[in-house]
Amino acid sequence: MPVQIIKPGTRIDFIGKWKIAVALSLVMIVAGAVGVATRGFRLGIDFAGGTEVLVRFHEGVQVDEEVIRTVLGGLDIENPSVIRYGEVADREFLIKFKGERRIEGVELQGDGAVDVRNDRILALDAALSGEIGPHDRQRVEFVGPKVGAELREDGMKAMAIAGLLILLYVGFRFSTRFAPGAVVALIHDVLITASIWVLFGLEFDLRVLAALLAIIGYSLNDTIIVYDRIRENMELRTKHDLVDVLNRSINQTLSRTLLTSITTMAAVLCLLILGGEVVRPFALAMAIGVMVGTYSSVYIAGPTLLWLETRFGETTGPATPAKKQKATA
Amino acid sequence: MNLRWRLGLVIGFVVLFGWLGIGGFFPEEQRLEAWWLPDEGVRLGLDLRGGIHMVISPDLDVALSQELETLRKDFEARLEDDGITGVSVLVVDESVRLRPSGPADAERIAAEIGDWTFEDVARPTDTEFVVTLTADSRALVRDNAMAQALEVLRRRIDDPQTGIPESVITKQGQDRILIQIPGMDRVPDIFRTTGYLEFKIVQASQPTEALLRAQFPDGLPEGSEVALQYDRETRRILNAFLLPKQPDITGEHLADARVGFDTQRNEWLVNFSWDAEGGRIFGDLTQANVQKPLAILLDGEVHSAPVIQTRISRSGQITGNFTSQESTDLAIILRAGALPIPLKIEEERTIGPALGADSVSSGLQASVAGLLVIVVFMVGYYRLSGGYASVALFANLLLIAGLMSLFEGTLTVPGIAGLVLTVGMAVDANVIIFERIREELRAGRATRAAISAGFEKARWTILDANITTLITAVILFNYGTGPIKGFAVTLSVGILTSVFAALVITRLLYELKPGNRAVAELSI
Repeated sequence: MPVQIIKPGTRIDFIGKWKIAVALSLVMIVAGAVGVATRGFRLGIDFAGGTEVLVRFHEGVQVDEEVIRTVLGGLDIENPSVIRYGEVADREFLIKFKGERRIEGVELQGDGAVDVRNDRILALDAALSGEIGPHDRQRVEFVGPKVGAELREDGMKAMAIAGLLILLYVGFRFSTRFAPGAVVALIHDVLITASIWVLFGLEFDLRVLAALLAIIGYSLNDTIIVYDRIRENMELRTKHDLVDVLNRSINQTLSRTLLTSITTMAAVLCLLILGGEVVRPFALAMAIGVMVGTYSSVYIAGPTLLWLETRFGETTGPATPAKKQKATA
Repeated sequence: MNLRWRLGLVIGFVVLFGWLGIGGFFPEEQRLEAWWLPDEGVRLGLDLRGGIHMVISPDLDVALSQELETLRKDFEARLEDDGITGVSVLVVDESVRLRPSGPADAERIAAEIGDWTFEDVARPTDTEFVVTLTADSRALVRDNAMAQALEVLRRRIDDPQTGIPESVITKQGQDRILIQIPGMDRVPDIFRTTGYLEFKIVQASQPTEALLRAQFPDGLPEGSEVALQYDRETRRILNAFLLPKQPDITGEHLADARVGFDTQRNEWLVNFSWDAEGGRIFGDLTQANVQKPLAILLDGEVHSAPVIQTRISRSGQITGNFTSQESTDLAIILRAGALPIPLKIEEERTIGPALGADSVSSGLQASVAGLLVIVVFMVGYYRLSGGYASVALFANLLLIAGLMSLFEGTLTVPGIAGLVLTVGMAVDANVIIFERIREELRAGRATRAAISAGFEKARWTILDANITTLITAVILFNYGTGPIKGFAVTLSVGILTSVFAALVITRLLYELKPGNRAVAELSI
């Protein structure tokens, strides 16, 4: 006997629960929207511009967050945040602040490009060395406001283009009847992942954008498995009730949907746990996206198709008058 | 094609790419040396090996105001030539404003100004002219600023003394310069110093600025200013000098600059020599100011202020407690000439080598763990078929590494994430096939027919799923910068190879066993 997570012949009425599913998703999206309205998007330095410096003090240097804040207070730096990184014994701190790199009002003769007198990072470095002790700069990230705005704009464009191209591809491969459902599922996945991100107060940066784009690509994998089967079943039994076809298709592909998500999730979890600080936001967003994507291909993609068919598809669809939908709902 | 040929072909393919892939991770010197290693290789991104990624742009506002200043001076000269007096000529906002004292002068200017300049001239009131730069002029200013900045930076980096191998400096877009320096965690002086050298005769000096200012209770003398000398290490102020605003001579007239070492005082210094004109000016200056201190300023900061002992015409020295590196950098900067406009840092991402090494090891751990978990899961769930999927997965990884190596791709931290993600997604294709085969078996088909039907029916599902992911990966590649591009690359390559691995390699393994033999039960 082979190992099976879903017994063959399982018949769960997924479509019948469409109201609960849609309500759940709407609640999540609205919560996210409320989060954005009240607290706003937390943009990381990639999009908002700003500076992040990770410093590691040499052994024997007595230092804590408060000492660093005091030193920063003496510099022309607004609202810096200082976070200890890792263990106390590591003496590592992440210093973050917003704003321009150049210290305004300092004119250097000969138009000095970057100098300890007019550059915030170099000034910070000099102050930390002078007043606390020797340290290494592990990482410096500075994004100017201009570059930040560009990255923000390009990021939005990339998401929009990805959505559009996928709409076109699915439309081309599955006929226009299926494409909107797939894209609804896809937008749903991105919105919910983003909502969860907002609700947990996490920062959006390039890594999260990369994850959202990867989710756009990946969320369709599961949906396509289901839709392929729906198409196949429709061809086989055109006389059948659409609700039945949908439920049957989702059940038939359920083990596949879950298994592909499990393998992808396993890899993503390895990244999340072992991949290190840099990939963590990416891995976390991917993990959420994979879960939401699996949920949507079971609970959202089918009902959307059903709704579209009953609403617009009387002439092209195989069957399913509106009253049938009512009967199961 | 018969099975043996296909098998040979696929094995050959995988071995070739495996050789390219694994060999590609050896260091470059070793690769070029050893005959059994490929010349091509995987390059590690700056976030893995440590280094500086910096986007800078010449400060165009300054370049434009320099241009307006030139225009203003030109107008003054023209007015003087034509004998029009009493005109106020000022640079206001982004324009030059001329205000003649009366309507008669205004008419003369109106008649002439078209010959004086090609720029846009507006006349908001009868006695006011506002000259703004045309779009073409602005573009020209921008292009010149870019060309000059690039040239100076290139000259500095190409200087044989610089010693930064593999650094990249290229134009990015219309007004940006991309600088990448592997293996460094601090921006070297040659990229951040303007290199504006000035010599000024010292009028007064004190240990602090406050003391110096106290010396002049009625304010500093006309045309003079305070400049400071710092300790190079602690950045504490050593001396404050009162100097004339206008330099007596600048680095413009330098002919050469070389690193030197003063064995008596045990310190590094820079020897320089003047061109003919510089020699004349410097000779006159030093002759007239014997026994006075001469301040040597770099970018407005006093480096040293030696007392002039005698007339010097051809050459001189700059001292200032330099380390050997600092004096080398300064010599390079002086040789290459000063940057005509200040540079603005638009973006900087610098990773220390230690952090890069950490990323390599955590990336490796995540990859190996991901691989193990998936192999255990697949073999546990699908038995022999899961083993096939694992073989295909290993082959897949070799193919990815090989392709990366062949095209000299850059591996970044997000790139490793893409690789781990690919490991997870690659077996998806196998899952789709295996589930389909199980379904066909349940429907009562014979083993061989079930395998065949499984592959047949899963093919398009697999292609559709992967093509959509490929679309987003390609968009990400177009959009992304640096490390994110690395993610797009490994993801796209991974998608292509995993489709091949699932549809070709797994299929081939089934043809080996069970193959044509009739088996009662398939291990799936």
